[in-house]
Amino acid sequence: MCMLSIATLVSAGLHPVSGEPRHCRNDSLAMTLGLQLAESIGAEIKVLHAGDENNPALPNYLALNAKKIDVISVASGANIVDSLATNLANTELILTGTRAEDGEDSGLLPYLLAAKLNIPLVANALAIKPIENGIEILQFLPKGKRRSVTVKLPAVVVVHPLAPIELRFAFAQQVSGQIVAHTAQNQSKTSSSKQIQWQIQAAINKPKKLKAQENKSGHERMLAYIASENKGGAVVNEGSSVEKAQVILSYLREHHLINF
Amino acid sequence: MTDNHNNRINPRRPFKGTASGLNRIVLTTAPRLNEAPHAKPIRNSQKNNAEQASILVISHSDRGMLDDHARQTVSAAAILANEATNITVVALILGDLRENIASCGADKVIVMPEFSFEKFQPDLELANITAVIERLNPIKILMPDNFIGDGDLGRRLIASQHTKTAATHVIEIDSLHAASPHAAGRKIAFTELPHIILLAADAADTNLPFIGSATIQPTIQSSTQVENTNNQQKSVSPYQNLGLKTIASEQVALEEADLIVSAGNGVSNVETFERLALALDAAIGASRVAVDDGKFSRDKQIGASGKTVTASTYIAIGISGAVQHLQGIKDCRHVIAINRDNSAPIVKRADLSIIGDAEAIMQALINAVAEAKSLSLQEAACACYLLLR
Ligand SMILES: Cc1cc2nc3c(=O)[nH]c(=O)nc-3n(C[C@H](O)[C@H](O)[C@H](O)COP(=O)(O)OP(=O)(O)OC[C@H]3O[C@@H](n4cnc5c(N)ncnc54)[C@H](O)[C@@H]3O)c2cc1C
Repeated sequence: MCMLSIATLVSAGLHPVSGEPRHCRNDSLAMTLGLQLAESIGAEIKVLHAGDENNPALPNYLALNAKKIDVISVASGANIVDSLATNLANTELILTGTRAEDGEDSGLLPYLLAAKLNIPLVANALAIKPIENGIEILQFLPKGKRRSVTVKLPAVVVVHPLAPIELRFAFAQQVSGQIVAHTAQNQSKTSSSKQIQWQIQAAINKPKKLKAQENKSGHERMLAYIASENKGGAVVNEGSSVEKAQVILSYLREHHLINF
Repeated sequence: MTDNHNNRINPRRPFKGTASGLNRIVLTTAPRLNEAPHAKPIRNSQKNNAEQASILVISHSDRGMLDDHARQTVSAAAILANEATNITVVALILGDLRENIASCGADKVIVMPEFSFEKFQPDLELANITAVIERLNPIKILMPDNFIGDGDLGRRLIASQHTKTAATHVIEIDSLHAASPHAAGRKIAFTELPHIILLAADAADTNLPFIGSATIQPTIQSSTQVENTNNQQKSVSPYQNLGLKTIASEQVALEEADLIVSAGNGVSNVETFERLALALDAAIGASRVAVDDGKFSRDKQIGASGKTVTASTYIAIGISGAVQHLQGIKDCRHVIAINRDNSAPIVKRADLSIIGDAEAIMQALINAVAEAKSLSLQEAACACYLLLR
């Protein structure tokens, strides 16, 4: 097993209720997973943040045991994908959280980064294990399913919010850790990808559902309202218990809900 | 014509004189509850067969069907298409499809059965959907922002299509705008309707006044494409699947379970019920009354004051189906009820209702499941034996 170089990206988060700056939970999970992995195989790890080195959220990551945070200073509004890509060109494993909490929260950054560096990406990771020329990843799927995949390195891995990782804060580490600022080498004001103009408002109202327009008369609407109460599926009244059990079994089979 | 005639209201019906004039009393026949709903018209999309603008919806299927989130996404596309003329809704389904999706408004359906969500092959999927996009050149692309592969594939698509505008996790959409949560949901960000839209769950209503024509398109082009990329990529694909596993039902959180058997006041013998759950490898839920009786622990309670579950299959045994309980299962796809009362409210909600005594039917079902399992084991053994010979 050769020495891996690992980088984890951390962003500034917001407290969901007070809006105070703090660590982003998803990124903290990715960072802790990276720190654990690095320790178990003796790899080198870099914790990277693109933005302002004085961000009050960053010391939280030190408290979570990042010994040192490298900050690439980019002006707000500049394209961070390019600066990160130049910085990460020789890194074999890049770990990120699923969605950031402060800005757009789009979950796009790891994908843009992987596309820029032209390396593979695996999302929804719950656990990572190094193997012969690559890593094995346990992926989250809904409905109690899990999937194991392998990927060749270098790669970007996006850690799922349900990853079984415990976060431990220690104030001593926050004091002893350091934050080091670097100037970005490749700062481009113009973003490589399409820029969208967002108009931001406080989220007060519930989002409106898209509904089809119906031009029905009042009488029709009332009928539809009353009649819609009358839905329901097949009803089996007759037969012995054994026959009724067979009906259930064949329903489950017909809809592929069981596999025997 | 006759239809119209039936719906007509008698203009000479009785009236009352009031201060504001005559107030006609409507004495039409009571709504006929058992009448089949009117067949919905097919949305008029094919004005001419020439080159038509289209909205493309891309989604994985789950066991041959679209889940609610995917159906909402197709419906959203149909509603957007309906506001303009001459736009077709094309649904590109990854994984096999065994149902008709006309009711959510799809006009054309392309199925790529080889891309089941269970297998991780994002590079091949991206190559294939890109080929379809190039061929159709849709005016908009919609995908559900989910965890069964579409959220992932959609973001790969956005990253690969630099020139197109995109928005993810869109919680509000109309013909002009899209909106996504901003700053951890404390703010909301609006933008002009972008080109690629990853739609969050529950952003659109699936109840449409029309249906689509849902013609299945031949996939010759796409499958040859697959083979081409397959040959090229077999050796170079950086991803490899090691297989899928399902966590045993007892260990899965109830909210995440796929198959739930749930007991209510009508279950007298908890032991039989637990044997049934074991036989079906199902997670256990309960109604509030069953929990209050001490038959189950509080964390099993499903409903308004308990848990909200999203299982594909929910088997409600001896549960009357009070609104508070139904609230907890509104996202379940297949509801099967066992109840001795065929007028219980659960019967209206259930896709299949078995009327009879819970204990006897549970016993019979346990036997039937055991039999079916041993049969399929025998078959597997037979197949093995034939192979080995
Ligand atoms: C504020 C509030 C919150 C609530 N929250 C919840 C909640 O979160 N979850 C919840 O479940 N309830 C909740 N309830 C309670 C809810 O209103 C119902 O009282 C409860 O769901 C009924 O449970 P049940 O269907 O098991 O019992 P019952 O209503 O007693 O129904 C039993 C059913 O079993 C059938 N049955 C009886 N014997 C047999 C037999 N031998 N074989 C077959 N069928 C049989 C009967 O026909 C009947 O339909 C709430 C109520 C309130 C007021």
